Amino acid sequence: MCKDSSRRFIFLKSPLVMKATSLFRLTSVRRVLPCAVATVIAVCFSSAGFAQQHLSKRFQTGKNVRIELKNISGTIVVESWNKDEIRLSATMESPNAHIVPKQMDESLIVDVMNDNRGRGDVGDVNFKLQVPVSSSVDLETRRGQISVSNLRGASVRAHVSTEGDIELTNITAAQVVAQNTIGNIFFDGEFSTGGTYEFKSTKGDITIRIPGNSAFRLVAASPARKIALGEFWNNGFKTQDGRRYVGDVGDGRSSVSVTNFSGQITFLRK
Amino acid sequence: MNCEKCQELIHDLLDGTLSRADEFTLNTHLRECLDCESVRQDLSAILGFCQSHRGEYETPPNPQALWLRIRNVVEAEAANVKVKAKAPRKSFLADLLGRSWELSLPQLASFAVAIVLLVSIVTVVGIRRFGNNPVVEQPQPQASNINERVFQRQQVINYWKQRVELNKSRWSPEMRDTFDRNLQVIDAAVTQSLNELNRNPHDDISEQMLNESLNDKLALLKEFSDL
Repeated sequence: MCKDSSRRFIFLKSPLVMKATSLFRLTSVRRVLPCAVATVIAVCFSSAGFAQQHLSKRFQTGKNVRIELKNISGTIVVESWNKDEIRLSATMESPNAHIVPKQMDESLIVDVMNDNRGRGDVGDVNFKLQVPVSSSVDLETRRGQISVSNLRGASVRAHVSTEGDIELTNITAAQVVAQNTIGNIFFDGEFSTGGTYEFKSTKGDITIRIPGNSAFRLVAASPARKIALGEFWNNGFKTQDGRRYVGDVGDGRSSVSVTNFSGQITFLRK
Repeated sequence: MNCEKCQELIHDLLDGTLSRADEFTLNTHLRECLDCESVRQDLSAILGFCQSHRGEYETPPNPQALWLRIRNVVEAEAANVKVKAKAPRKSFLADLLGRSWELSLPQLASFAVAIVLLVSIVTVVGIRRFGNNPVVEQPQPQASNINERVFQRQQVINYWKQRVELNKSRWSPEMRDTFDRNLQVIDAAVTQSLNELNRNPHDDISEQMLNESLNDKLALLKEFSDL
């Protein structure tokens, strides 16, 4: 054993190792150590910088809850589920971002703008909400996409101040508002009797997909003359050189306003 | 029977040539109308005087000349009547205002009720006609008005723009780019609408688009001034 050990030791102390050891000793420890520490710290901080924070919360509610979400930048996805509760998930790009949802009676309020006042740029915050089917939602973001699906509440409002697509799928609500500056707007749903529907974009396409038996009064304006009413066109429509169409489809029981400055307005039948 | 017809028949009544039916009708009217009764009494007195003093008059010296004077007077009065008839009639309003209104209390009350009813009907009709379907005013702009309004809006926009510029340095580069890009898109819409309105000041679609674009711009600036 001893002999083996000494042999191993002898092996470890081979000329090559000896040379390396001497080289290490020759190099100043005082010079290398700070570099190594700095590297480790930099790696740690950079990984923390790119790491996304995640928030997930559940809120017990009734069936007819109202959700108000004001984001600064980032996507908002709202889906319905078969539970009387809200599940809020948020992914925050910046560790500085702070989110404090407030639940009051039958409403949940999330105001990223208010919660992060004075904190500087908090980057993107991407939200995903699962809400009861009968919920009303009021969603705002300065920049980013908004997607809402499978809701049958009183109202749906989606507002993107600058650019971001808005997609409203399988929506039945008495009041729907969708507005952005740059980006497409897609609405797939039904127009309720007596409901009001407003879609507005400055630069983007607006597509509305509704059942063939929908009844509504339409005011559609597009200075670019890109209005396609498809199967909903009838001789009762009045048009002003193709830039504005005003008329009733069916008995015109709901009111629909579509304004698009430079994009296409398209009506599709489900 | 009216007074005019009555006074025509009074002569026949005094001569005794009126039928029984007309006499009955005339007497009924005379009992009710003091003016006509007065005329009848005057005529009756004249006739009575003439009959009682028959043969007591002297023949005028020149009956032919007298007759001519009477005839001239009658013709001159007839001519005056024609001129009056040809004179322009007073307008309805002047006639109405010139008339002296002497209303009894029930008439006055009826008149007041009629006015109240008329106002109520007009109000109800007005509400039904315009209340449920508010008339969307389609302004007929003029180029000077538009430029003036745009200038006024621009003052407000400039204020908010200054506020945005103060905060802009705090934004991320991506947010700054996004904001500038979107503001350019809205500005393009404003310019296009304005050019269209300068070509055709009565184009209400361009005016609608101009208003909406200016509103959008203001809303964007307000939202980003908080950031």
